[in-house]
Amino acid sequence: MIRIEYQTQRLSLRFFMLMLVLFFFQVGFGLLLAAQHIDPTLLAGHLNFNVVRAEHTNLGILWVLSGFIGAILFVGPLLSRRELAAPVLIKFLFYALLAIVIWNVATQALAQQGIAGWWHGEPMLQEGLEYLEAGRIVDVVILIGFAILCYVVLRTFPPLSRWTEIHWGLGIGVVALTFVWTFGMFFVERLDLQEYFRWYVVHYWVEGVWEVIHISLVGFLLVLMFRADIKSVGYAVFWGVALVWLSGLIGNAHHYFWIGTPEFWQFWGSLFSALEPLPLIFCFWHVYLDAHQDGKPVGNMPAFAFLLGSVVLEQVGAGILGFTMTFALTNVWSHGTWVTLSHAHLALFGTFGMLGLAAAYYAVPLMRGVESFDQRPGKLAFWLVFAGMLGLGFAFAIGGTVQVFVYRTLGLDWFGGDVAPAMQFAKVMVPIFGLVFAIGVCLLVYDLLTLGLRAPARGDEERAPVALRGWGRRLIGWEAGLWLLAMWVFGAIITLGLLSFNLHSVREGNMRFPYLMASVGYSGLLLTTLFFVARFLRSLEARGRAGAGEPLVPGETAPAAAT
Amino acid sequence: MSCAPGEPCEEGGRRRRALIVLGLMGAIFLALSAASFLPSRGQALPATVSYAGFDAVQGKRVFQSYNCMGCHTIVGNGAYLGPDLTGLYGKVGPAWLEAFLPSAGSWPTKGAVSLQLRDERIAGDAGVAAIDAYLEKYPAAAERITRRGAHSTLMPNLPLSRTEVRQLIAFLKYTSAMNTEGWPPRPQVDGLTFPQAAPLPVSRPTIPVAAQDPGAAAASAPVSAAARGAQLAQDAGCTACHASGRERLVGPGWGGLYGSEVELTDGSKVRVDDAYLTESIVDPDAKIVQGFAPHVMPSYAGTLDADQVAAIVAYIQSLGGEHP
Repeated sequence: MIRIEYQTQRLSLRFFMLMLVLFFFQVGFGLLLAAQHIDPTLLAGHLNFNVVRAEHTNLGILWVLSGFIGAILFVGPLLSRRELAAPVLIKFLFYALLAIVIWNVATQALAQQGIAGWWHGEPMLQEGLEYLEAGRIVDVVILIGFAILCYVVLRTFPPLSRWTEIHWGLGIGVVALTFVWTFGMFFVERLDLQEYFRWYVVHYWVEGVWEVIHISLVGFLLVLMFRADIKSVGYAVFWGVALVWLSGLIGNAHHYFWIGTPEFWQFWGSLFSALEPLPLIFCFWHVYLDAHQDGKPVGNMPAFAFLLGSVVLEQVGAGILGFTMTFALTNVWSHGTWVTLSHAHLALFGTFGMLGLAAAYYAVPLMRGVESFDQRPGKLAFWLVFAGMLGLGFAFAIGGTVQVFVYRTLGLDWFGGDVAPAMQFAKVMVPIFGLVFAIGVCLLVYDLLTLGLRAPARGDEERAPVALRGWGRRLIGWEAGLWLLAMWVFGAIITLGLLSFNLHSVREGNMRFPYLMASVGYSGLLLTTLFFVARFLRSLEARGRAGAGEPLVPGETAPAAAT
Repeated sequence: MSCAPGEPCEEGGRRRRALIVLGLMGAIFLALSAASFLPSRGQALPATVSYAGFDAVQGKRVFQSYNCMGCHTIVGNGAYLGPDLTGLYGKVGPAWLEAFLPSAGSWPTKGAVSLQLRDERIAGDAGVAAIDAYLEKYPAAAERITRRGAHSTLMPNLPLSRTEVRQLIAFLKYTSAMNTEGWPPRPQVDGLTFPQAAPLPVSRPTIPVAAQDPGAAAASAPVSAAARGAQLAQDAGCTACHASGRERLVGPGWGGLYGSEVELTDGSKVRVDDAYLTESIVDPDAKIVQGFAPHVMPSYAGTLDADQVAAIVAYIQSLGGEHP
């Protein structure tokens, strides 16, 4: 267990704690949304759905950012071999973030009264645009906050000549984070132009900037956890980032199919966003390789579980589910329905949320000086949120498929009378899986908040060792490749199911084929994902039990331990 | 992999080439973007679309102020609780929207929509003045009236002023005129007659006539007049804004209203009697009760005759209150 060398690393702790608190409330708002979907009159007039949803999406963005800031502050000194610059500014950043959260939660409720605070043509208090609901006042404060983050990171880093790819990734990441944000800071009269720029922020944040920060942080956490070779990780970071931008820059075009922009975007968007999964497969594969860099036990299983979850859900939620609906011919059906929700939840929480949680599980015990901690609550919480989120993805996808059929194919547009009743089964599944997820969240928030502060529980050394057989045997490249292939096969089935809405028979009202493909595709994909992660973690646990130096597979010498 | 020691290293060259390709892609993206907003494309512009004296830019501000995107989608983006709003104006027309938006909690009735058509500006914008011609021109409005009329929409009532309503309609008129490249796809079957879709059987909502307190109603007014008034109140769309209980939907609840004393915006007080109620129906802006906005309620003069107004007043009286 490494010790905290640089005292300013401890400044990250408060950001991790804030992240957990915001996460808790975000999930609470999410459950309320699920309940309001079943009964839209719930709290109507007091806390309307659109306000709850704005809180849900904004808190989601803010806690992910808080986790990013925490992770960046924690690794910053390690990457730079010196203390963070300007700790006073970081403390200010924390209180500014806190103020932003409180102010924004309060001002979103003004939408019920139709108050946006127009001043000089700009909405000061809230602006009613999906994901960018925050008003201009908060926008400016957030911009200042990002500028502080840039200053701290760039001042802390060593001179340019000594930058590795990870420095470049994080450096470009924080600067681009600030730059891209400015595109959401003006009122646009034209709806098509407004949507054009809104996706600059939303798409280029997640696909361009967050992804870059994500790849860099995953890379460095792998270096820390597995003593992975920094050169090899640097190679992965460079090409990961390059592929993200090569595909994602024009890939943004998949948002420009139906917003009033010309038809040619359908060609460019379909072509380039089909390439967007490439960096994710690349990242996925590197995690597989790096996790096998040394054969030593994984000291901190919850941290690695969340890291693996992040990379796998990035692959499944962003990569595969994104791929299925990225072609103009499938997107014309999925656009504006629940089908997109399964992608959004798996991709955003999975990729970025789980990374913040992984970083917190890695950093919090170190900062609290805990030599070894009871890892069972963390592991259980991981399985609850992971399974809960996969279930949510399934519920949204099935509900979305029904919605496409009823709303688009049959053209029924009475949501209260026709569409919602048809989706009722899926609408009930959402809070059920949501509850599983929420229990996991409560457990992990409690675990991380009190880790090292509560009385140490029984360590988990006493547990029966995991055998190196069956699901515990070593995961070799071939097998990992087969799992990946299976996920993509199910992804192809989902894609064909969405494509089949174009078939004449389906358009004439025969829903059997798309329903069958969706049932097989989504359940197959999500179950494969669940079992693959179970298999991966099981093999690492078994390796931990086996101890370093011992042959991992009978008859084979320990290959990784030799490096 | 990265360069092994001793081997010729091509990694740097590869990376430079990747960055050049990236620059090329940025140039393609910017060129496509510039081509997207050329005036020659003929895309609808909000500043040139107007409705009842308001332009669509004003409407867009209202749309954002109420965070409509938090429940609905527009050009497919937003939330999925309610339907997409992009082409709504073209489907239901301005009179239906004028009737719907101020009391969004309840689907408008035929009476409520035809009342709006009496406004020349609305009729002019719709292109038809008679309700039957309107419903023929806008079949989606007809479907909403026959299947959903007077039912709850499950949408909360919003404190929209008449100005905001008109601005919003201007915005929806603009989005309806936008070219969205064929999205959403046009259905090829009619869901309403499709056997497997089987839309829910719809019954007319029951009207709480005198039933709560038959004795009092019978004593104060003839049951037949009150019952007729109850039916009229629903058909004319009154119940979209006025509850039979005391709660406020958009306008004041009718329960216990009759005979009570209300304070007006000018500070004076007035007792709710037949004369006051009659005036409020035919000329709603004559006396505005404190806490309520003017111009929200349309005038029923010319739509309801004196007998019908009297029947509605009798119905309101039957809903209880202090009897003078």
